[in-house]
Amino acid sequence: MLNDIFIAISNTLSREFRRMVSRPIYFIGTVLVMGFCYVFFLTFFNEGQPNKMPIGIVDLDNSSLSRQFVRNLDATQQAKVVMRVGSHREAREEMQRGNIYAFVEIQHGFATKAISSKRPPITFYLNDSYLVAGSLLLKDISYISALSSGAMQRQILRAKGVEENRIMGIIQPITTDTHLIGNPWANYGIYLLNILLPGVLQLSILMMTIFVIGIEFKERTSHEWLENANNSIFAAITGKLVPYTVLFTLLGIIGNILLYSYMHYPMNTSIWWMFLTTFMYVLAYQAVGVLLIGITPVLRDGVTLVAFYGLLGFTFAGFTFPIEQLPYSAQIFSYIFPIRHYFNIYVNEALHGISIQYSVISFIALLSFNILPLFVYHRLKNAAIKQNYPIK
Amino acid sequence: MNAKQHKFPILNKWISIIKDIISIFSNEFKIVFKDRGVVIVFIVASLVYPMLYCGLYKNETLVNVPIAAVDYSRSKYSEELLRHLDASPDVKVSKFSSFDEAKKAFDERKVHGLFFIPADFSKKLNTGEQTTVSVYCDMSSFLYYRSLTLASSYSVLDMGNKIQVDRLNMQGITGQNATITASPIPFESNILFNEGMGFASFLMPAILMLIIHQTLFFGIGMLAGTSREENRFHQLVSSKLHRGGTLRVVLGKAACYMLMYLVFSFYILEVTPHVFNLPHIGNPVDLLNFIIPFLLATIFFSMTVSVFLPNRETGMIIFLFFSLILLFLCGISWPQSNINSFWKAFAWIFPATHGIQGYIKINSMGADIHHITYEYGSLWILSVLYFITACWAYYWQIKKPLSQIQD
Repeated sequence: MLNDIFIAISNTLSREFRRMVSRPIYFIGTVLVMGFCYVFFLTFFNEGQPNKMPIGIVDLDNSSLSRQFVRNLDATQQAKVVMRVGSHREAREEMQRGNIYAFVEIQHGFATKAISSKRPPITFYLNDSYLVAGSLLLKDISYISALSSGAMQRQILRAKGVEENRIMGIIQPITTDTHLIGNPWANYGIYLLNILLPGVLQLSILMMTIFVIGIEFKERTSHEWLENANNSIFAAITGKLVPYTVLFTLLGIIGNILLYSYMHYPMNTSIWWMFLTTFMYVLAYQAVGVLLIGITPVLRDGVTLVAFYGLLGFTFAGFTFPIEQLPYSAQIFSYIFPIRHYFNIYVNEALHGISIQYSVISFIALLSFNILPLFVYHRLKNAAIKQNYPIK
Repeated sequence: MNAKQHKFPILNKWISIIKDIISIFSNEFKIVFKDRGVVIVFIVASLVYPMLYCGLYKNETLVNVPIAAVDYSRSKYSEELLRHLDASPDVKVSKFSSFDEAKKAFDERKVHGLFFIPADFSKKLNTGEQTTVSVYCDMSSFLYYRSLTLASSYSVLDMGNKIQVDRLNMQGITGQNATITASPIPFESNILFNEGMGFASFLMPAILMLIIHQTLFFGIGMLAGTSREENRFHQLVSSKLHRGGTLRVVLGKAACYMLMYLVFSFYILEVTPHVFNLPHIGNPVDLLNFIIPFLLATIFFSMTVSVFLPNRETGMIIFLFFSLILLFLCGISWPQSNINSFWKAFAWIFPATHGIQGYIKINSMGADIHHITYEYGSLWILSVLYFITACWAYYWQIKKPLSQIQD
């Protein structure tokens, strides 16, 4: 009995290998897509943080004091002064054109007022339509403002004869020491790519799972497929999907290696845990794929369904907008996305490096997706035998 | 009639061209509405996706992110600081008696940050020294980091300013003098666009444009893939059409998609932002003016690529991931100024890049059409370019089966 199934699976396997080399889509949809994404994302974010973003200056004072301030601003990591314009209106227009993400306005008589203690303001304008650029520039601009303000205070206090060891306590009584856990450089690539790349992988797994099964229905080859597997739908599906399990696990592990070894992204546990997670992640998504093509054994509907589900995975992973801050009724759906559990394991193990016991529940969740194909076992078998679904 | 034909042979030719285009146009409508898959992509997706994503991201900012506070100082000052922190809408403070306990809550992801006040906090404040508090941020999402640093820096600064004035008073600097010394140059920061720093207000405009771009791309790909499967590309050109045939087919089909998507665009780009309270400060006339080359470029781009898709599903299987690539290429997340020149050049060839940038500039930043001449011009150039390639590709595709038949 067991031997029969083994033979059936191996027959299906060799049939599938022949199919895999018969059309370019098998190669394009797996290796080429993932390869492109690895190259794209790793070269796209290689800077880590966007540095030297363009900002503008409206310096109506043009004194040595105002010029000094602009020079300081230009020396920050994130900002680069690319233009000086004559008016607020012009600067605002440059912002609307997208040429600058922020600008600084220094009024007439700034230096004179500063010297005569009239508290002349410096005003910043930021554009948060580009949220990343806006937030990062705000951080740098606030820092440089505090620094300039501190320098001026120091001068005033010294002039007033305050003791040197008291000055820092007056300028800044409380300082903050900020620790960014797991990503001390606030590297944008670390935050995004560790989930984006597995995210692309799940799209690819889902699409290929739907495709390799759905094409048998579409091209009316399901009889042959099933007969070749000794009429066991279990063998037919297992034999068909195993090559992709291996291929996708391999692609996923290459991704892990690229991120954690080549890019040196934080890995605070053994990388083997992430390899294991990747393997379980591949299985979970293949199981979801089987469920979805079982629900609608029509290739075109399966593809649409999978596109919908797969793209939602990026939202429900919860790495951009945290799950618990989504509308309450939406939160519950995060459980039906393996990428959510992958994300949890990644945060616990790779990023925070805490004991594996915290992730056990997520591993169990990933594992439990493998039950899903059972729900469409008969449905798929019937569809394969009766071929009673439309082909387009 | 006959007399007319003799009098205006050119006019007559034009009438026949327009007639052909109209017949291809109405025929394409029938094909679209008969195909369930295409209806789902064009119509259902265009209607549902904007609402779905706006609904999911309707909370613009994080509120009450739970954080742990460990107060080893247990003083009037430290309690005041924590009260301040808790009062901010960004975070919600729970107190823990030891660092280890707080760390455990962090590991269990019950809290997404730690705020630590050392034992000598109050002592140092009383003696006029500088004191330090520590903040630990969960970096699994950038929004946690932003909420926590915003809230903590605000409350620390606020309390610091008060203490500063007290200390200046102690030095004999009082009243107006103290205010001036405490902040000799007041810095003001204003956010001009997306004032609320909202996540949806930032991301959704890009997603909305991407929905238009991608549904058009996948829908047109599906239609072309089906035509190829059924080998009826050639049927679209009736035998009486000769050389001008391709042009008429391309124009007729494009007109069909254009008409549909002008309506959808109104819903996606004008109605949705109003309903979901996203930025919508753009001038509708400018938007209409801008959307025309965007749709044309997208349609002709999709028609060009679609010809190479052998089956109806191929487009989505191979290119679904590209939606993500386009979202990054357009430069709303990682700023355009920091994209390396290779990827910037690559980004230029996709209508989505200019479409998203232009839409955000008009709709979120109130730009006029003359502010976005780069995007607007690029889209017209792409429209012309892809129109030519679409004609080419169709010509090739129509010709192929015809020559096979003749053989």
